[in-house]
Amino acid sequence: MRYSYHRPASLDEASDMAAALPNARFIQGGTDLMVRIGQGRERPGHLISLRRIGELTTIDANREIRIGAGATLSDTLAHPDIRRRLPALAQSLAALGSRQVRNMGTIGGNLCNASPAADTAPPLLVYDARVEIRNGRAIRCLPLAEFLLGPGKTALQAGEILVAIVVPDPPEGTGSAFIRRGRVTMDLAIASVAASVRLNGGASIAIRVAAGAVAPTPRRLTAAEAVATPTDDWSRAAIAAREQIEPITDLRASAEYRRHLTGILVRRALTMAAAASGQWSIDR
Amino acid sequence: MTRSRHVGTERPRPDAADKLAGKAHYIHDIAVQGMLYGRIRFSDHAHARIARIDTSLAESVPGVRAVITGQTTPEIRFGLLRDNVALKKDRVRQFRDEVAAVAATSPEAAARAVELIEVEYEPLPAVFTPDEALAEGAALVHETDHAGRSRSSNLLPLSCRHLTGDIAAATAASRYIVEGTYTVPRIQQACMGTSGCLAEFSPEGNLTITAKTQIPFLAQRDFNRALEALGLTNRNSRVIVPAIGGAFGTGLDTHAYEFIAILLAWKTGRPVKIVYDRREEFSCLSPRQEARIRVCQGCDDRGRLTFRDVEVIQDNGAYTSWGATYPNVMLVTATSLYRVPAVRFDSRIVYTNNTYCQAMRGYGNPEVTWAIESNLDELAAAAGMDPIAMRLLNANEPGDLSPMGLKFDSCALRECLDAVATSLRTSSSPPAGQTRVRGTGMAGLINVGGGGKIYRSDGSGIILKLDDYGNVNVAYGGVEMGQGLHSALTIMVADALGVRPERVFINQTDTATCPWDVGTHASRGAFMAGNAAVLAATKLRERLFALAERVYADEVERNIARIGQSERIEAFDFRAARAADFDLRDGYLAPRQAPDEAWYRIELGRLLRAAHFAERDPAIFTEEAFYEPPTQLPDWERGYGNMSASYGFGAQGVEVEVDTETGEVRILRLVAVSDIGRVLNPATLKGQMYGGIAQGVGYALFEEVQTERGRILNPGFTDYKVASAADLDFPIELRFVETNDPHGPFGAKGAGELALAPTAPAIANAIYNAVGVRVRDLPITPEKVLRALSETSRR
Ligand SMILES: Cc1cc2nc3c(=O)[nH]c(=O)nc-3n(C[C@H](O)[C@H](O)[C@H](O)COP(=O)(O)OP(=O)(O)OC[C@H]3O[C@@H](n4cnc5c(N)ncnc54)[C@H](O)[C@@H]3O)c2cc1C
Repeated sequence: MRYSYHRPASLDEASDMAAALPNARFIQGGTDLMVRIGQGRERPGHLISLRRIGELTTIDANREIRIGAGATLSDTLAHPDIRRRLPALAQSLAALGSRQVRNMGTIGGNLCNASPAADTAPPLLVYDARVEIRNGRAIRCLPLAEFLLGPGKTALQAGEILVAIVVPDPPEGTGSAFIRRGRVTMDLAIASVAASVRLNGGASIAIRVAAGAVAPTPRRLTAAEAVATPTDDWSRAAIAAREQIEPITDLRASAEYRRHLTGILVRRALTMAAAASGQWSIDR
Repeated sequence: MTRSRHVGTERPRPDAADKLAGKAHYIHDIAVQGMLYGRIRFSDHAHARIARIDTSLAESVPGVRAVITGQTTPEIRFGLLRDNVALKKDRVRQFRDEVAAVAATSPEAAARAVELIEVEYEPLPAVFTPDEALAEGAALVHETDHAGRSRSSNLLPLSCRHLTGDIAAATAASRYIVEGTYTVPRIQQACMGTSGCLAEFSPEGNLTITAKTQIPFLAQRDFNRALEALGLTNRNSRVIVPAIGGAFGTGLDTHAYEFIAILLAWKTGRPVKIVYDRREEFSCLSPRQEARIRVCQGCDDRGRLTFRDVEVIQDNGAYTSWGATYPNVMLVTATSLYRVPAVRFDSRIVYTNNTYCQAMRGYGNPEVTWAIESNLDELAAAAGMDPIAMRLLNANEPGDLSPMGLKFDSCALRECLDAVATSLRTSSSPPAGQTRVRGTGMAGLINVGGGGKIYRSDGSGIILKLDDYGNVNVAYGGVEMGQGLHSALTIMVADALGVRPERVFINQTDTATCPWDVGTHASRGAFMAGNAAVLAATKLRERLFALAERVYADEVERNIARIGQSERIEAFDFRAARAADFDLRDGYLAPRQAPDEAWYRIELGRLLRAAHFAERDPAIFTEEAFYEPPTQLPDWERGYGNMSASYGFGAQGVEVEVDTETGEVRILRLVAVSDIGRVLNPATLKGQMYGGIAQGVGYALFEEVQTERGRILNPGFTDYKVASAADLDFPIELRFVETNDPHGPFGAKGAGELALAPTAPAIANAIYNAVGVRVRDLPITPEKVLRALSETSRR
């Protein structure tokens, strides 16, 4: 575990360092990276800490909500606009790790780590989030779905910095929810589901569903969205969701169980989201 | 003595401040001048011949001081059946087998060098389940025993069985009979503090080893044998026990890493420390045994038990540690939990190429309680009886002599069952949603509470040393590993002697300074330490009172002269006080009949100084005692003998909510009522209960060492889950039915293990009560519940 540690004060400086130093990694909270280094799965020569760069940690809630990639999970969870306008994201943050992990870990780290089970990803997918990436002095933007490419793989090129996550304000009347299941409270998800629903007197206007831990990346379940309707108690959505995922068997659960569970969670998340939308009463 | 001033009061534990302040010295914190870091190279195969080991690259790593293998060092044999050696010479039998080791000046150099050791293997056929291992023509894990005699089967030469009554006749006479097979997985003790030791030789060849052990004196014997293997005859090992961050049975045996540290220290002439990292702790240390237990029980038409038939098969892994003797402890519950007129018990322990297993808290009892208490619920269901009523009907009573010959001089099982039943009857709020169903369940338990004799002595020595200031230094050979032994011992010494607990100091456990103790296991620590303390304190009090008879009058006169109270004192003839009149209380000595005035009391330190500096017969006060409990080493072939001086009882009840769509089980509340005799320190006792219950919940619902052909797949807390505080998010009601056990110090019985014994069956029974499905295979994961639910609905 031998590396040198750098603390640039600005994004420019960080980009320059990344370009100049061989075998360097960015580090924010380190709650993923340090674990991997400790296990010998990564052996970087240089760590470039982004924690001194103030602009990475700000959260701006205007017409869109812009979350700095370096905002801690705790600060993001505590932000009143996030709790009010992006409740599924807040629910995912509340379920993520422990208080200690949330105090150190960041939302950008969660996405850059690109775990199939990353808890903030399903709600952000449901909210149509996009990411802002710094490449040298240039900025580029990508929809989150195009950022997450596979286990541990993102669209970031060498030296690129994730700067912010930008979430459009969900339209009036949108309800959203996030549910996850692990073996115990502090565990990576076996399956997680986020859903958002905007209903108009029982007729759906916009429905979004995304799932985590049941495919190589967290993914939108568009097939489920297409058939989702409260009139069948969301059962067709649940069935379609089970078709659109690619779960694996691992130490936490079997593929079969994940498939079953995802259907249940989709139905429950949609039910919760619909109830939260406030436009649809459960009076069947 | 036995007038308890501090026993029963809630007191902070004496080791708490150091631990909170980070000042306790765990093995991880200890470093000495010139110390080297040892590291072990483990096998990459479950079963293979070692064809070649090349250490040349490893030796060339800067900082490396020694690289050793089985070929280059004397063989050190160890283990219950002496079937293990420290470094494997020609064959590995499990993934974690030690094939080479390195000592280097830094942990990094040692780690690098270990990776550079080249080992060539020729894989051999391997067996991974008891069934495979016992099949015709199965590969032998050991072709010979320790003495070189050839072996023909993978069955261990250890038998433990029992027969009372006529099972066939009892079966025929039973109205209801239920048979089931119940399995338990391997689980990890998951100590916060990982394993480690520091070995150092004196120039004369004597060894000092600081070791994370629960058996310092048996370890001393093992280490002395190792010295002989090194040609160091007539030398000694001194075992010192550091602060321990949890042991749970992992310290009940000596380990290859300890012998390897000894070999490395011997080879280099330098102190060598080996400390396991978390991955090694999970994959290279012995877990709890996996077992399959078939239980058949019958009852008459009123629900009275007619017989119990229990058959155990355990996967021992590749070598033999104390885990192989779980059946000895299973016997207690199998023969004696509830009144059963006819009992048969049989056990088989089988070698496989899995990781070898060792002791863990409860030592067979959680396993067998899981099987019997699950089966009992099934029997109640078959008989159409309330499972609580069935338990009450068959409960043991004080004075019972069980089929195994266990004597219950105190027993409040009935009261415990009753209290749990009452608590479970109070209803809680209805479940949220139709897919969630609630149910309650309970299970009872018996556990040894006055030692557990599985070795030829189950005794404990103690030394109480008084200094000139009235302090008591206690030398006790048992081990504080977080359970609160030192807290219990402090309180008991204080009360047994008559001093304040602040005046009692427990020495570090060290074979050089402490008298012999068999080890801290079987819930025996506080029971043995307390009994030994009472014996030694009684001797001290006799001597002190004899001394008082001589010097008391002079001392009182000195008091009176100092304060000038001569006319008020004549009411009491202090000059007539005899030895038998005296009492020592809170560190002050006075005749019992003396008026409650300061000048009649002599502070203990003053009395001791008077004795020490006397012109005639000067004396100092140190007393030792050895307590050997009135128990029998059972005859394992017959499964008969009163192995413990007293027995703890208890019951746990739980309310669960089962999600019928996902199979998830949520515990809503848990109640544990225990008979552990007198409560010594409620604070530490509750700690033992909460911790045991947390382990019981993990055992029931999610803990499992997962393996694939002998390789451990989840060697870390990311993949191996234990219950954290967040998982115990339900109320736990703890109650104690205080019996006063005639053998227990101050009436107390052992309490270290019983909390986790009934948790899993109570949960399984509650699940059955909620949704009518029975899972017989731990852990009860959501997948298993769901599968059982869908099988039932299909039927
Ligand atoms: C005990 C524990 C429990 C956990 N539980 C959960 C859980 O329940 N759910 C869950 O989703 N996660 C969990 N995690 C994982 C982790 O905490 C989160 O993923 C966290 O959000 C990571 O953020 P970080 O700032 O610590 O990332 P870091 O470890 O600092 O970085 C992670 C990766 O992202 C890269 N990176 C970081 N910032 C940037 C940037 N701005 N630009 C480009 N690359 C960057 C790093 O180089 C690294 O590869 C847990 C971790 C632990 C240790």
